[in-house]
Amino acid sequence: MTADKERLDRAIIAMRVAKELPPGASVNLGIGIPTLVSMFVADESIVFYHSESGVLNCGPLAEEGSEDIDLINAGGQFLQSVPGMAYFSSVDAFAMIRGGHVDVTVLGAHQVSATGDLANWMLPERGVGNIGGAMDLAAGAEKVIVAMEHNDRSGNSKIVEQCDYPLTGQGCVSLVVTDVAVMQPTAQGIVLLEVAPGWTPEDVQAVTDAQLIIPDTVAEYEV
Amino acid sequence: MPPAKLNAQAMARRAAAAIAPGDVVAIDDGLPTLVPDATSASLGAWFLGNSGMLNDIPLSQADAAAVIRGGYVNLAVVSAAQVDTTGSFAGQHPPGNAVDLAAGAHRVIALLPRSDDVGASNIVPALSSTPDGYRCVDTIITDAAVIDVADADLTLAELAPGWTADDVRAITAADLSISPTLREMDFTPSNGAPPSKIYPDGPSALADLPDGATVFIDGFGGPGGMAHYLLISLRDRGSRGLTIVSNTAGIARVVSFGTPPGRTAIDHSVLIENGQVAKAIASFPVSPSVSRPSEFELAYRRGEVDLELVPQGTLAERLRAGGAGIHAFYTHTGAGTLIAEGKETRNINGRNYVLEYGLLADFAIIRAHKADTNGNLVYRGTSRNFNAVMAPSARVTIAEVDEIVAPGQLDPEEIVTPGPFVQRIVQRPQGFTGYE
Repeated sequence: MTADKERLDRAIIAMRVAKELPPGASVNLGIGIPTLVSMFVADESIVFYHSESGVLNCGPLAEEGSEDIDLINAGGQFLQSVPGMAYFSSVDAFAMIRGGHVDVTVLGAHQVSATGDLANWMLPERGVGNIGGAMDLAAGAEKVIVAMEHNDRSGNSKIVEQCDYPLTGQGCVSLVVTDVAVMQPTAQGIVLLEVAPGWTPEDVQAVTDAQLIIPDTVAEYEV
Repeated sequence: MPPAKLNAQAMARRAAAAIAPGDVVAIDDGLPTLVPDATSASLGAWFLGNSGMLNDIPLSQADAAAVIRGGYVNLAVVSAAQVDTTGSFAGQHPPGNAVDLAAGAHRVIALLPRSDDVGASNIVPALSSTPDGYRCVDTIITDAAVIDVADADLTLAELAPGWTADDVRAITAADLSISPTLREMDFTPSNGAPPSKIYPDGPSALADLPDGATVFIDGFGGPGGMAHYLLISLRDRGSRGLTIVSNTAGIARVVSFGTPPGRTAIDHSVLIENGQVAKAIASFPVSPSVSRPSEFELAYRRGEVDLELVPQGTLAERLRAGGAGIHAFYTHTGAGTLIAEGKETRNINGRNYVLEYGLLADFAIIRAHKADTNGNLVYRGTSRNFNAVMAPSARVTIAEVDEIVAPGQLDPEEIVTPGPFVQRIVQRPQGFTGYE
């Protein structure tokens, strides 16, 4: 059974995503696996991290005992003060996002559709959810990368033909990196680009709800 | 020979006499630039120049225009080449802010240029060029008279010393009615001072916050940037049926960012558990953790509060728009999602955009680091985020600050929120923390 094949861990997903961040890019990282991405960006590849809380050039998290309540990221975690930080209001934070000044955002998701629809703000069974900055990032970032597990805890595919969870944005996702594959949603459907070591395209299709477009050559997931 | 005309300084003095304590006065280029020097400093007036300077605070043109359109300009003194009987005017230079001023200022005084050319008239039945301001001038001050404009009628109200009504009529192309209270121009400068913005404590600052009010409350999520003392004061005041507008609807208590052991974070929950909130407008209303629901989520599930969920950037822009006199705007954010349901959507250049409306409030309770006694604010770090956006959009903005300083003690280059946006200032009590 393909589902028993070994999946990549969260750090490897983050490592793969880190390759997608060009030097000098403005990058907004969501909560969860996306947060890990910054650990794997090469030092010489200077990336400017943007946060909806109103700061550009976020550095590492503050050490315990030296937290400053007036210096937080979008997840409410305390940041270290580092040289080159810029503070701004929420209006400016989102002008950067909607105005196309954030080059890449990396988000988690509940579901991604074959054509790049994103659902990541509400689980229908809860009946209420948090949007936060996700819809603006989906609408405004130049490139939206989703980093997530391929299947949910019950084994359901999170890559679907059509999202049945409430959408965050339509056709906005340009790359999906999971623990078994790298895929590119397009208007024609989702293209399988890379598979995890030991996985075949057919293995990936077997755990995927959406019909994958499988090119003649599919690379091995490379970090 | 008609009597001598007023000089430019005298015209400026007459305009300055119309300024009330604490007024925001927009000053056009030309003759109006003499008005600030003709005004007593004790009056506490704010002068907004065409360059974007608000007294000594440099504003961007967008922020300066927001001051104007947002309704903060009590009086605009514009340079007019011509004024017609309806109060439309044509400026004597490229219009600059004049068009915005005409639309946004509460009251417009047109200063006409001085002229020794007896017989030429700048007050005309119809303008000879396109107006910069349409039917907006309330008062015309010339070098010979003060003329009030109302209902497409010009009324001669005041005469320069030595002038008669016939003298003025003789050099005016438009018809003039004569005020029954026609008098000599009064150059007595306004005096008095604006009321203090400093309130001794939270309860006094919130004493007139009514039931049913809409209240902006900042607090991005963590303990910073939130007016904890005012929140507790609002709980103690007990106003009910409130609509609260905020990024979250109170999650600090359940997320417990940095909360010391054994204590509880102060957030919107204090109002919700006290039954004061009818509705929340928020982007991140509930706990990120399903297993640790916030007071708001519990009340929402009991059907006690309504929720309007708004994407965070749309919330920020709606708050900005309200205070900046922008009634509505289109954003791509939320197009094709639940957020767009029931809203007008427009395709612009091949992309769908959702119509969103500006937000205004009766009160805002915001958190800043320092205020001067004129209400200018500076913030710390990320705690600027929604606080600075909310300040211009509430009728009464109350800032809770760590320190209140004298005017001049804040560097104007670092002032984020200019004083006209802040009506009340409360110092956070020494030792007060964000935890109960």
